[in-house]
Amino acid sequence: MSIKCNHCQIAFENEVMIKENDLFFCCKGCQSVYYLLQDEDLGSFYNKLGNKTLASVKKHEQNDLNNFDEESFFKNYVKETQDGFSHIDLIIEGIHCSACVWLNEKILFELEGIIEAKINFTNNKAKIIFDKDEIKLSSIISKIRSIGYDAYAYDISLSDENASEAKKDYFIRMMVAVFSSVNIMMLGVAKYTGFFTGIDDDIKHMIHLAEFILCTPVLFYSGSIFFKGAYHALRNKLINMDFLVCSGASLSYIYSLYILGGGAGESYFDSVSMIITFVLVGKYLEVLGKKSAIDTLDTIKSKVPLFATLIKADEKVIVNIQEIKVGDVLELKTGEQACVDGELLAYESSFDEAALSGESLSVNKKEKDPIYSSSINLGSLVQYKALKTYEKSTLNSIVVLLEDSLNNKPKIEEKANEFSKVFSLLILAISLLTFCTWYFFGLSMGFSYGDISVFEKSFIVAISVIVIACPCALALATPMASLIGISALAKKGLLFKEAKYIEEMAKADVMVLDKTGTLTKGLLRVKDFNLSTNNAFHLSLMYSLVDSSTHPISKALKKYLEEKYKNLEYIKLKNIKNFNGKGLSAFYENTKKERFELLGGNLSFLKEHSISTSFRSTSSEYIFCINKEVFACVTLEDELKEDAKEFILYTKKNNIDTVILSGDNINAVKSIAKDLDIKEFYGNVNPIEKANYIKSLKEKNKRVIMVGDGVNDALALSYANVSIVMKSGTDIAILVSDIVILNNSLKALKEALILSKRTYYFIKQNLLISLLYNMITIPLAVFGFVIPLVAALSMSLSSLIVVLNSLRIKNKG
Amino acid sequence: MISDTLFMMLFVGLFLSFIVLGFFIWGAKTGQFDDTSKMMDGLLFDSEEDLNDAVKKEKKISDAKNKFKSSK
Repeated sequence: MSIKCNHCQIAFENEVMIKENDLFFCCKGCQSVYYLLQDEDLGSFYNKLGNKTLASVKKHEQNDLNNFDEESFFKNYVKETQDGFSHIDLIIEGIHCSACVWLNEKILFELEGIIEAKINFTNNKAKIIFDKDEIKLSSIISKIRSIGYDAYAYDISLSDENASEAKKDYFIRMMVAVFSSVNIMMLGVAKYTGFFTGIDDDIKHMIHLAEFILCTPVLFYSGSIFFKGAYHALRNKLINMDFLVCSGASLSYIYSLYILGGGAGESYFDSVSMIITFVLVGKYLEVLGKKSAIDTLDTIKSKVPLFATLIKADEKVIVNIQEIKVGDVLELKTGEQACVDGELLAYESSFDEAALSGESLSVNKKEKDPIYSSSINLGSLVQYKALKTYEKSTLNSIVVLLEDSLNNKPKIEEKANEFSKVFSLLILAISLLTFCTWYFFGLSMGFSYGDISVFEKSFIVAISVIVIACPCALALATPMASLIGISALAKKGLLFKEAKYIEEMAKADVMVLDKTGTLTKGLLRVKDFNLSTNNAFHLSLMYSLVDSSTHPISKALKKYLEEKYKNLEYIKLKNIKNFNGKGLSAFYENTKKERFELLGGNLSFLKEHSISTSFRSTSSEYIFCINKEVFACVTLEDELKEDAKEFILYTKKNNIDTVILSGDNINAVKSIAKDLDIKEFYGNVNPIEKANYIKSLKEKNKRVIMVGDGVNDALALSYANVSIVMKSGTDIAILVSDIVILNNSLKALKEALILSKRTYYFIKQNLLISLLYNMITIPLAVFGFVIPLVAALSMSLSSLIVVLNSLRIKNKG
Repeated sequence: MISDTLFMMLFVGLFLSFIVLGFFIWGAKTGQFDDTSKMMDGLLFDSEEDLNDAVKKEKKISDAKNKFKSSK
């Protein structure tokens, strides 16, 4: 039976829980946070949490708190406010829901000396204003850590402030436009009903006046960015979308003013505000995208270690990482992250290089072996020599490259947009031509149109051309189909961050896949299991040894043994020693005082204990020896996801090339590629090489989809046309990605390809419909057969057709 | 007569809605809509206790500012 932890709300097996009266905790960390919250009278946090779960509390073992009080740190990250207080920007790690935000804000606010603590839930950035005479920075950080979160300082950049400002500005402009458009539409109901039932001239005039009041701020406040954009483009002798938007809108506005002033006809204030609103919403989404790219970068940058321990003439000095010079000797404690590239000097240790290779297995390193920045020391305390400065180290170069690629993410040229640009220019030209022809022809022939002059008549006809060709249907063609496509995709467990990736997905011709976690489950599984004798007691010894470790190999073996052998006993072993990344050794003494020496590990571990065996494996191996005699030889392999084969078959059928790009060793990659029948595969690839590979594909004019999950894929992901990340991937990869697969399955990826193609097909169909529609109606308008009333009505009709057509996307699948 | 009533209703309505829009813009400018995710859960943090906290917060800020000024 499983029980929920009272703090983090995650359910665990009954046996592993810490019991205390009616309370259950999964770990000491959760327990201490629970009591702390009760003491501080913050128990209502759990009510606010609802049915969400938190991460289990991890204890902080590093003693880096003093570093936060260093003067160099203070100088780099703390700013002074106008009132003379101190201000620091932090990124809080571990925030899952708004209750977490509430808890952090509240507990910080209760601290003496903190003036203001504001946490943004969307990007986890915190702004803390404090009095440096009353509270130390280290006590702020330790308070946050004490309740199970962690905080990193980051340097708030100018681009971040600008992006926040732009976001706010566009938001207000958009809301003014939406507010006015909605109201104008409501008045429109009265006006259009009036067409059929008859309407008094003075009431119609009144509606026009109200529309004028509502429309003016839309055009001149919300729409002013288009005027600016058009002006800048014109100065550079360019015509852009902005120019077309504002020329169309202004012309209709001026004409409507003329109607308002007493001219005969219908006003088009509604069209003006609609056009501005639609285009503005699109622009706002662009601004949002830019802001989130900046937030991503700040999160990555904040994870970079800030200090290193430098050893200078037997003295330990803590220095800022920027001050490290080539040749400096640095110390790396357990759990610390290396900040520059270098080579190991003393002692052996194992390193977690997941950030670079994406592999969860740790790597064992000896003296003179290279150390890469961003790898985490898992073993004992070591010293290493810096071979590069921080600026030139792997970690920083990845951050810099990522910054470039995120800031200049290539604009996907959207066919629909390109098309409507040309189309709109054409319409403007046609309407100008129409006006001239009607005017001069009318003058020279001496036509008269009742109570309106030739000029007025020509003007009305020219405007009706613009209105009937109003890019509304055209503008709706893509977003409507995309919207329905995206919601259909979301139901299948696919999260598209922006609609434009549908088009890219549909047109992709190369798919680059990461191995671990994408094609495989990232879990080891026993492939071959050979015993020298079938001895139940020996098996129990082996079982007990693997049970004592949490290494992935041990875990996989334990699961395998439990499934295959029923009568295993747990035997208490003595003197269990863990050789990181190599194996385990232990002793067992039975009642007859017989001693068994147990060894279990990889080939190099056996070699060190001078045991020879002919056993060789193509992937991970595990050999178990009793008294220096080999008892079991095991080959372990990463397990393929169930639907991997089906997925690869589908891509082949649709002429999408697949490539495996992995940081794992080439043999492991080869065996997976063979299983899946993939011709192109690369092993031992580092993050920068991955990104370069994507770049070279793009230089060959290929459209690349990259699927990955690790920090090591982040750079390559940001270079690809479309990047897809599994939900189980690291935070950074998810932030960089365009599409997230929520259920981690390759079947969903296949669905994504199918549905994108279908949606793209409908986008093209919609464009065709609106084009055909215009081809019929524009000539009619040019020759003056369309009265403005019909023009306005048919505008809605064409939009309606496009919307209804898009709804058909959902019908299949 | 009808048109007079309609005229009044329409423009009083417009006037009121512009006041609401004004408040909205004020809210956006003071940063109340900066954090969209937090805004969505705002309902959870609207109890009496939270209101008291908000008052305490204001007070703490002004106290600190006064103290700072007097110490200078």
